[in-house]
Amino acid sequence: MREILLKTESLSKSFSSGGVMQHVLKNIDLELYKGDFTVIMGASGAGKSTLLYALSGMDTPSLGKICFGDRIISDLKQDELAVFRRRSCGFVFQQIYLIEGMSVMDNVLAAGLLTARDKKALTHRAEELFEKVGISEEARKKFPSQISGGEAQRVGIVRALINSPQVLFADEPTGALNSRTGLEVLDTLTEFHQSGQSIVMVTHDMRSARRGNRILYLKDGAVMGECNLGAYQHGDQERHEKLSGFLAEMGW
Amino acid sequence: MRKNFLIACSNLRRAKGQTVTIAALILLSSCMLNLWLMLATDYKQNFDRYHEKLNAEHVTLVLTGEDEKMREFVAGILEADSRTEQYSIEDAMAMVGSFTYGGGEINSELVILEKQAALSRTLGMVEIVEEGEDTSGIYIPMLYGMGDGHKTGEMMEITIGSEAFAYKVCGLSNSIMAGSHNCSMALLLLTEDKYRELEESGAAPGAILVSVRLWDRNEGEDFEAMLKNAVSAQYPQARTLSNSYHDVSTSRYISQMICSGILSAAAFLVLMIALVVIASNVADYIQENMKKLGALKAVGYTSGQLILALQVQFVGIAAITSAAGAALSYGLFPSINEMMISQTGIPYLMRFLPLPFLVTVCLENGAVALAVWLSSRRIGKIEPIVALRQGMQTHSFRRNHVPLAVTRIPLQIALALKTTLGALKQNVTICITMLVLSLVVVFAGVMVENIIVDTQPFIDLIVGETADACINVNTEREADFLQLAGEDDRVQKVYLYNSAEVRHVGGIALIATMSEDFSQINNPDVCFAGRFPIYDNEIAVAAKYAREKGLKIGDEITLTAGGGEAVFIISGFTQISNNLGKDCLLTRSGYERMDSLMHESYYINLAEGVDIDAFNDETGSRLGDGVNAVINIRAVIEGTSRVYISMMKYIVAVVLILSVVVVAFVLFLLVRTTLGNKKLDYGILKALGFTTGQLILQTAASFMPAVILSTAAGLTVSAFVINPLTALFLSGIGIVKCTFAVPVGFVAAAGCGLVLFAFAVSCLLSLKIRKIAPRNLLVGE
Amino acid sequence: MKRNRFLMGLAAALLIQMAVLLAFVFYKPDLYRDAVAVNEAVQSVQNDWGAMENHRNLTDLEYVVLDGRGNVLFRTGPGLSESINAAVVHGDTILDIEAEGEAAGKIIIYSGGAEDLQERKRAAVMILAAVIFAQLGICGGYVIYLDRILIRPFQKLKGFARRIAGGNLDIPLEMDRQNLFGAFTESFDIMRSELKKARAAEAEANAAKKELVARLSHDIRTPVASIRAAAEVGNALAGEEKLKDIYMQITRKVDQIDALVTDLFTASLEELQKLPVTPVDMAGAEVGTLLENADYLHRAVIPPVPDCLVYADRLRLQQVFDNVFANSYKYADTNIDLSIRRMERWLIVETEDCGGGVREEEIPLIKEKFKRGSNAGGIEGAGLGLYISDLFMREMKGKFLVENGESGLKVTVILALSGTI
Repeated sequence: MREILLKTESLSKSFSSGGVMQHVLKNIDLELYKGDFTVIMGASGAGKSTLLYALSGMDTPSLGKICFGDRIISDLKQDELAVFRRRSCGFVFQQIYLIEGMSVMDNVLAAGLLTARDKKALTHRAEELFEKVGISEEARKKFPSQISGGEAQRVGIVRALINSPQVLFADEPTGALNSRTGLEVLDTLTEFHQSGQSIVMVTHDMRSARRGNRILYLKDGAVMGECNLGAYQHGDQERHEKLSGFLAEMGW
Repeated sequence: MRKNFLIACSNLRRAKGQTVTIAALILLSSCMLNLWLMLATDYKQNFDRYHEKLNAEHVTLVLTGEDEKMREFVAGILEADSRTEQYSIEDAMAMVGSFTYGGGEINSELVILEKQAALSRTLGMVEIVEEGEDTSGIYIPMLYGMGDGHKTGEMMEITIGSEAFAYKVCGLSNSIMAGSHNCSMALLLLTEDKYRELEESGAAPGAILVSVRLWDRNEGEDFEAMLKNAVSAQYPQARTLSNSYHDVSTSRYISQMICSGILSAAAFLVLMIALVVIASNVADYIQENMKKLGALKAVGYTSGQLILALQVQFVGIAAITSAAGAALSYGLFPSINEMMISQTGIPYLMRFLPLPFLVTVCLENGAVALAVWLSSRRIGKIEPIVALRQGMQTHSFRRNHVPLAVTRIPLQIALALKTTLGALKQNVTICITMLVLSLVVVFAGVMVENIIVDTQPFIDLIVGETADACINVNTEREADFLQLAGEDDRVQKVYLYNSAEVRHVGGIALIATMSEDFSQINNPDVCFAGRFPIYDNEIAVAAKYAREKGLKIGDEITLTAGGGEAVFIISGFTQISNNLGKDCLLTRSGYERMDSLMHESYYINLAEGVDIDAFNDETGSRLGDGVNAVINIRAVIEGTSRVYISMMKYIVAVVLILSVVVVAFVLFLLVRTTLGNKKLDYGILKALGFTTGQLILQTAASFMPAVILSTAAGLTVSAFVINPLTALFLSGIGIVKCTFAVPVGFVAAAGCGLVLFAFAVSCLLSLKIRKIAPRNLLVGE
Repeated sequence: MKRNRFLMGLAAALLIQMAVLLAFVFYKPDLYRDAVAVNEAVQSVQNDWGAMENHRNLTDLEYVVLDGRGNVLFRTGPGLSESINAAVVHGDTILDIEAEGEAAGKIIIYSGGAEDLQERKRAAVMILAAVIFAQLGICGGYVIYLDRILIRPFQKLKGFARRIAGGNLDIPLEMDRQNLFGAFTESFDIMRSELKKARAAEAEANAAKKELVARLSHDIRTPVASIRAAAEVGNALAGEEKLKDIYMQITRKVDQIDALVTDLFTASLEELQKLPVTPVDMAGAEVGTLLENADYLHRAVIPPVPDCLVYADRLRLQQVFDNVFANSYKYADTNIDLSIRRMERWLIVETEDCGGGVREEEIPLIKEKFKRGSNAGGIEGAGLGLYISDLFMREMKGKFLVENGESGLKVTVILALSGTI
């Protein structure tokens, strides 16, 4: 039995707009495992990002329960969620969302200093991570607007990982990037996954999805099916075919 | 135009809070501006209107003595002078007297006329403004009947000379030139029976009341000096009493002057803050709507049209609210009039004044239009393509303030500092506001400390020298008096402080105050430049007079008094507002080079807890005829300073409330702007795990460096400039230099209070951060 | 803007210098106070005349007092002019001392003429030196300014050009619009970004082409239908058995697809009842409310509903529950056991009364149209309730089960959870 990282029971999320209730997530029962690179796919409006935000404690579900380890996070208050997020989760956004007024380094440290006790160790870790994702020392001193989109997203990944979170959530991390820089970002993610990092990623891009070892397909707010790619090697044609087959089955 | 109107309307809708703030600030400033203009223009002119209405004289002279020839002599002078337009000489009685008023005692020269005779005057007419049922009694100047003064129908006690009389108050009168102690003489009307009674008692000597109307009222002071000199040369024994148009019109309107000064300062202060707010508003608008403006430009709007839309928006608000503010001032005017009238003593009928209204509206709108124009010129530089492509110009060259990797400052504070250092405009706004407000706070502190808590510094400034009692003795009993005082252990100090009139050759009449030794007097600050006269050929003159005449320390001036003439060298400048800056100080021997003294006034400091009135009575009775008059100085001052103190209380309260409101307003706007600009950043930070509380503190803390620094700087600077500023303010009444103590404790506490208040308010206003949810970062769904 | 500010700063510095110089030129030392001091000296000497040995100097002045014959009575210090002649030569002030109305002596007040001049010269030199120093500072500042605004940008430009030549288009030219050549250097950067854009556009166009091809191949599935016709014709025309088999196979596969379409088509034609059922997603808690409404006699204890979203039509579900409870009230009239639980993708609502149920052989028929249990007796009814309930539940993708329980009739309403595909 694999160790369960996240578990949801009847997770539902509804929004009301103009008096009409809209149910974006419907009774999702899900288990995510440690060490997995879980990819959530689905068409636009299927509720992928909503699911991601609920799982990561950015948003509270309307109904249902989310357990993170042995902690029920669906009952936490906003501020408790904030503390939970800073300790246990890392985020990578589609729009990257680095803070404009701070240098790249400070963007990362601002997140890290929230939990870190030892600043030296933190700085060291930040530098290590930067090294790993290939952000030069010069670039670390620049402002987000002065670096390229691909670099910015890699900085985003560093920021997400600075606190050594149990799980990294990524919301269409390549969505705002062109194909080449997108690839770099995906490579970075894959690398971290291979070194043991649990990742949950939302995407509607097959090329990105291929990087995951477990693919969940979301449709109309419910998990329609899942496909396991763990058995196949990266870059393997079989892996690709298996995924395309699965997606074709799901009506992709 | 219509398009502009539409754009303006949509802008207004989206910034309701700011619109309300700007409207409130403009309302406030236009209200005060209009009040000021009303006070400064029409209110002062009211004096002239009444002066004309009652055909009042320009120079008044009262001469005691019943010599028939004196009347002819005066008439001869007046007939001969080509400046005289009209004159009248009437019988009256004149004496120093006192009565209670406003919790203190009023000590004034009294001119007593028979009621019917007074009402039949054609020159210097007397108006009865309130009349009771009684037919036997007294009519007092309306000033003494205002508020909690003497009511018609009540009995009042008046000490005339050294005898006490009780009269029933029959009504209130209004005389322009002899309206109150402020005019240096107060006119009392007695019904015929009471007049005869007083005449027979002999308490008040007979006198003639000379009223002169001149062709040119500006010559009043010179004419007064001329007339007085001529009379006292001929009749050296006669007691003279006089005033002129200029003196009266100034002294009756001192509080009006102070009040309008404060109002104008406050009005411009609030207007300035409103303009700063508008300017930052416009700048924010441009920043936020760069893309929209670019799009509008791309579809063919000119920069002028876009600026015009902003103008329509802000000037529209200003037009409505400034008119409303001016209207509001009419609602507030009666209560201000109430306050003023206790000094002017002249009734004022409020009416609509078109000119101040127009000036207020135009000034407010003009200023707003200018502010908008200056801050919106940037629109002209927006290139549509650039704006559409990236919203803002590329390549920002900001510095990374407070690098987190290096700094030792805790994270929260470091992030707040980043915000602070990155927002220059915000800091400038805060700095300006806090600098101005700290001046206001220091002003309030100084006023509280020196006027309300301890009145002495203020009285020293306004009155000059004060002691507990003043006793005027005849020269022949002077030695007895001094011996008596020397033996009395209630007396701490007794010193000569006698005033007499001297004439500056080539100038006007001055009140010369003389003492044997000026090092003895209680208020050494009277002489603020140079030093007191020590030798008999030295003199210290009022700085205001010296400035008018171009006199400097070291110059020589020639004085005459009682026929004698002597040259004096100016050793120092004084400031005493008692005689509106027509003063000088001489040594006794200096005065005696010109004339000898008939009687001397001695000021006396008494031991703590001694009953001043009892002491005065006792001394008076022991010296008998040797004492001409005794004055309880403390009581007199209490009576006269009351009006200033109550006025200052109002002003301080208003000023403090205003500063609190302004701080709240400005912070409201700044917090809004910050939240608007940093909404995304806050969303990101929340996603990263910052709690709402942390972000609120961060926001509030980001304002604090500017608040703390500018408050500290402002308070320090203000503490130094407050005295010169107050002096400037009071220069009209002869004050050149102020030496008010700045209450360090109060100011420091107020400064801390202001900072804490600012912090609390910005925390409160940042509560909106609660509503920023990381969920908003969701893009697609 | 920045440049203007700097230049304005320089101009301001120059203006301040000029103001200082002018102030210095027009500054007049305050000589008036001397008159008062001189008067004090004269007066104090006159007061002490007769006992000059007790005289003390009260002023800052230096003076010598002579009696009528020229003898020195008092001096404030050594080195002063001690005779009228010496005083005249030195330019000192000589005044009479009066005693009892007559001139009794002279006072010679020493003037610091030469020293004053020296003092003023020194001040002038100091001021000039300060001004020159400030000028140097301004010049130095301007040189630094020129370096920043002119020389450095050009050096930067040099490096930039080298990078472009080397094909590195990612690094923007850092430039300052404020500097003298801002607009000029900006055009270089525009050139760089345009080049870069052109390259990116090329790559993107290639990717798009590939994507289009993939999508088209997907769409080809539709015309498959026409293949069937062709296959049939082929089958008819084919002579060889082997060929016929192949055509048959094609036809069968195409039929498979066709069947699916037909199923969809026929399904929509089915309209047994005119009662529309429009299920939506609703919170599970609402089911509880519906049950409460239905159980108006409060025969059942309604347990909390587990958190979930169910797929149901509020109105029709209410009708179902109404039927269930009404039946129990009518036929059993006992307390009702009610349990709600979630099982996998279903929400199961079970009711059971204590009325003993119906005969076992009637169970399969009880949901049929117009069928009633034999225990209906004289009780009114049309035998439609359970039939309609069953229909509704099927419309809501749920189930409606009726069976005999331990103590009475057991009705199970099974609701589909939302999101169950």
